[in-house]
Order: sequence, then C-alpha cells, then structure tokens
Amino acid sequence: MSTAHQGGDLEVRSLVRIFGTGDGAVRAVDDVSFRAPAGRLTGFVGGNGAGKTSTMRMMMGVLAPTSGETLFEGRPITAADRRAFGYMPEERGLYPKQPVLDQLVYLGRLRGVPAPAARAEILGHLERLGLADRAKDHVEKLSLGNQQRVQIIAALMGSPRALILDEPFSGLDPAAVDGMADLLREHTARGVPVLFSSHQLDLVERLCERLVILRRGEVVADGTPAELATRGTVRHRLVLSGDAGWVRSVPGVRAIDVDGPVALLEMSDDGAGRRLLHSALERGDVREFCPVRPSLTEIYREVAA
Amino acid sequence: MMPGTNDSPAWLIVMQREIVARVMNKAYLFGLLVTVLLIAGIAGFFAWQSQQVDTYDVAVTAGDDAAATAVEQAAAELGEDGGELTVREVANADAARAALEDETADVWLSSGPDGWTLAGWREPDGSLTRLLTPVVERVTVTERAEALGTSFDELAAGGDLVTERLDGGAVDPGVVQFASFALAFLFFMSAIGSGQMIAASVVEEKQSRLVEIIASAVPLRDVLAGKVLGNSVIALAQNLLFATVGVVGLALTDFKAAVPAMTASLGWFVVFFTVGFVAVAAMYAMAGALASRLEDLQGTTAPMGVVLMAVYLTTFGADGTLERVLSFVPVTSIVSMPVRVLSGDAGWWEPVVALVLLAAFAAGVVLVSERAYRRALLQTGGRVGWRQALRAG
Repeated sequence: MSTAHQGGDLEVRSLVRIFGTGDGAVRAVDDVSFRAPAGRLTGFVGGNGAGKTSTMRMMMGVLAPTSGETLFEGRPITAADRRAFGYMPEERGLYPKQPVLDQLVYLGRLRGVPAPAARAEILGHLERLGLADRAKDHVEKLSLGNQQRVQIIAALMGSPRALILDEPFSGLDPAAVDGMADLLREHTARGVPVLFSSHQLDLVERLCERLVILRRGEVVADGTPAELATRGTVRHRLVLSGDAGWVRSVPGVRAIDVDGPVALLEMSDDGAGRRLLHSALERGDVREFCPVRPSLTEIYREVAA
Repeated sequence: MMPGTNDSPAWLIVMQREIVARVMNKAYLFGLLVTVLLIAGIAGFFAWQSQQVDTYDVAVTAGDDAAATAVEQAAAELGEDGGELTVREVANADAARAALEDETADVWLSSGPDGWTLAGWREPDGSLTRLLTPVVERVTVTERAEALGTSFDELAAGGDLVTERLDGGAVDPGVVQFASFALAFLFFMSAIGSGQMIAASVVEEKQSRLVEIIASAVPLRDVLAGKVLGNSVIALAQNLLFATVGVVGLALTDFKAAVPAMTASLGWFVVFFTVGFVAVAAMYAMAGALASRLEDLQGTTAPMGVVLMAVYLTTFGADGTLERVLSFVPVTSIVSMPVRVLSGDAGWWEPVVALVLLAAFAAGVVLVSERAYRRALLQTGGRVGWRQALRAG
C-alpha cells in the first residue's frame, strides 16, 4: 500500500512529571520512554494512578513535563503537529446545550478544517455510527454511549496525523467496541500511529499490535503481545500416571501447585527439566509435559502488581 | 480537508461560537426580554403618571359667591396643567357635610367673616390645599382692593418671583439623579450577568475537558481573546438595546426635554461600558478558569461581585468632589462620567481622558488575566487560588 507509511512514529523520551513540591511531591510519571509506531495500534495499560493520563496530556501539550520530551517523526513535536492530532481526553464531555453537528464543526474549524469540509466529513461519520438523525439534537439529549461516539468523531475528523485516545472504549457495549476498533484500524491502515489507554486487558490483547504497561509512573513492559508473553516467566505443566507429590524434592524445580497426578512447575535451569523427566520416567508414564504461556492478564498482574 | 488550510483565525471562530451559543440560549433571551419589559414598564409608568388627570368635586354653599369665584379661578389655573375642578353647589352647611360624608364632594370650601375653611370628611388632599391657598388669598385681596378703589394686580405688581439657572445646564437635577441610579443599576446588572455567563462558559469547557482538545489545537490566548470579544459584542448590543428602549420611553414622559442630553450621556455610557467590559470579561474568564466545577464558581467570582457591588453603591449616590474623582477612576468612571456629561458639569476633554485611563486599565487587566487563565485552565483537581494563578507565568 502506497499510503502505508503516511504518518511518523510518536515517541516519548525520559518523560518526568512531578506534582507538588517538597515532602508532598509525587513523581506521577517517572522517566517514561516508549514508542507508538506509525501504522500500529498501541495499547497503554496500567492501574489507576499509574500515570497514563498524565503521560498522554504531556504528549498533547496540555500538561507541562517536568523534564523529558515528545518526538514526532523523529524530531521534537510542535504545536502545528499537535493541531493535526486527534485527541480524546479522559472524563470528557461536550457542550451540553449545543447541537451535535454545530459543535463538531466548531472543533473541526479550530483544528483547521474549513467548515464545509468538516460538515461533510462529520455527517459521514454520524451516518456510519447510526447518529445521522441526531445531528441537530443538543448533546445533553444523547445517551452516554452516543455522546462517546460524538467525542470519538471529534478526535477522528480531519484525517489526523496521530491519535491519542484516553480510555476510548470505556462504557461501550461489545458491538460498539468492535465498531470503534474498526474505525481505529482504518487510521492505522492510513499509516498513522494510534495510542490508546484502557483498563480492559482482554480488549487490549485482542486489538493491539503493541503494548506499553505502566506501573506507578514507570514503564514495566513494552513490546508486542507475543514478545511480552515470552518475557513472562514460563511455567511447565506435568501430568503423570501416579501421584506427583515427589516433584517437590527434585533440585532446581519449584512446585507452584500439585494436585494428584498434575503439577505446575517452575524450573531454574534446563538441567532441572532433564532431571525431572528422568525421575518421572523411572516412576511411571509421563502423560503430558508442556510449557504454559501466561495470558496478558497474568503478565499484567505480574508486572503491574 | 488538509489540516492547516484554515478559513478563519481561531479567535474569530471562538468569538462566533460565543455569540451564536448565547443567542440560542433560551434562559439568556428570557432574561433579556424581562429587562427590556422592565425598562419599558418604568418608562410607561412615568408616561402614564404624567398624563394622569386629577378631578375634584368642591362643594360650595349657595350664596357663598367668594368661594364659588375662588373655585372657578382655581379650575382655570388647573386647566393649564390638565386637572379638573368642579363646583357642586349645595343648599347649606348641613347639605355640604352630607355631601362630604357620602363622597359626592371631595372638599367643601367656605368663606366667612373670620376667614376661609377647606373641609373634608378626612384631611383634605394636600395638592388641592396647595392649589387653593394662593387663590383664596388672591380672591380676598382682590375684594379688599376693590373696596379701597385699587386692584389686586396693582398691589401685587413687582412681587413675582422668577427662578433662573446660571450654569446653563438644561437638565433637571431630578433627571440627573434618576439617570445616575439607572446607569449604575444597568452597569451592575449587565456586568454581573454577562460576567457570570463568561465564567460559566469557561468552566464548562474546563469541566468537560473540551479545553484540552481546544488547547491542543489553538493557543489559549486566542481562545480568551475570542471569548472576551464575543461577550463584549453581546454586552454592547444588549446595552444599545436597553438605551434605545430607555430613550424612546423617556420621550413619552414629561422629561422629554432631557432626551438630547440623555442620548449623549447614554452614548458615552455605551462607549465606556464596552471598553470597561473588556476588563470585566477577562476577569470573569479568569475566575472561570480558577474553578474546576460549576459549583466552585460562586467562590471564585465572589471578589468580582464585591468590586462591582462597590462600584454600584458608590456611583449612584455620588456628587461633588467624590463624583468628580470617581468619574476618572477606572470602572467607576463607566457610570460617573456619563452622569457628569448629562448634568453638563464635564468639559469635553474629561470623558476622553477618563476613557483613555479606562482603556489602559482594561489592557492591564487583560494581560494579567490572560496569564492566570492559561495557568489555571489546564490544572485539574480542585479550585486554584487567585494568588497561585497570578504568581508566575
């Protein structure tokens, strides 16, 4: 595809944000570095207070970093770059007493899209999200889910060069999540980087091509879901013909759980595995011996606990 | 659709939205209508009052020619001002009493050798008493003058008192006083009302985080400029409307002679208010930025409320040196200078100087507010203190 690399990478380097001063100072974002590559959907995961929102606000220039920088296309980001970004803040809202179409046109014009072009594009988006007949309604009359659709249109219009979305999926039903995911993929297909934060890990695992996990202001994991899975501690499952209680005494083997003939084990080295299998075959049949890959949820619990 | 191919500057887009949003706001339009009706109602009341005709029935006993003459003369005098006095002849004193009791007559005027009596069932009407007193005196003097072979006019010649005004001002002091009250009130209501609307629109954007989308697209300075200009245009249009209704209303009352002077004064007021409102708007925008939710607004806008209330209270009663000083001090000059222009007390250069001072003050306030607005607007979580916002840029 010729348009595959229309956008550039979005990157943060050593981003730090300290709130407060003196003894009460909190390092909300502590030396955070990662990359949201062009044309990829990058998930930003972390518990409450992990620093996701502060990081995204600093990337969008609405929060001043204590130190560190944001790069776009390999150079320090400018106000003009940000103007061409689509941004969805957390705890967001809209003008409650203004019609849907009017306020989207307003936000589009502020981003530099001329009114007629903005209007045409917004009507297309509203049509697609099933809101075409609500264009003239006041926002306050819309359900929360529909308000969220309007907010996502505000971020997506005008062919943004990057998307930074804080919890875009929260509060959406599964069908709406799929619809929005399709929309986001259209933008990654154009070659722009899309960074979004979420609490819903299964969703992030299903949608994302890259993942950044934040804990207490620090990046604790960064990579593709497959990379992260191999990085997690690999365990082995052993199923014997007889009771497996004896595995506890094999040197270099740690039994996580033993239940009759089934054991879940962690091995400190390859030699431990050989010793274990040798002993097992001396005692009877080995029905199953395989590595257990951790799910993203388990990795997340492990790194972000 | 390429970003960057903009159709208008950001401040203009923001200004347009502010104006459109306000014009579409039903609560605002209702408030505007109520105010216009209030002004029209006050003017209408004065107009009605000035056309009001008082009618009195005066009982005179048969044969009391002096009393009948006095009432006729009084009626002729009253006719010029549009009143009505009717003589109701009764047979005797008892009939007069009865007429007062059953209210077929308002008063009973009688002359006698010991003097005149104006009787009512209750205390006779004050204005009627004031009207009849000189007439009765004249009738009495005329009678005696004729007995002495001369006439009332001869005796009274040279005894007229004529009033004269030396400052050249054509405006009734009552009108000036009323105008100072009206302008102070108009200033107070418009400034507080429009100011609260700006603060609410700022905090609405902050609370909904729309400001983050806006701030990542355009400089906040442009947003503030658009808000202040948009709301100033609204305030200007609103005051022109009020002033027009007021002047048209005034033309229908007894004070119509004051219309040209009043129009000049209102013109100055509109100019002063518009310049001063820029400062008020900027301060209210800052107060909105300091709040984090609509509920905080009452606290953050309180200082402005106190200042505007002080302006209102000091200006509507001020006169003499205090008024002269207030007419140059920014903010109070918005009310006091137009009042001095109305009373004919201010030289042509005085409003110009006061306006320059006011404009300089407004520019300073805008600069300070702009810094605090930018600082406080993107801070989340709780109210931001005035000092904290103003301290450093």
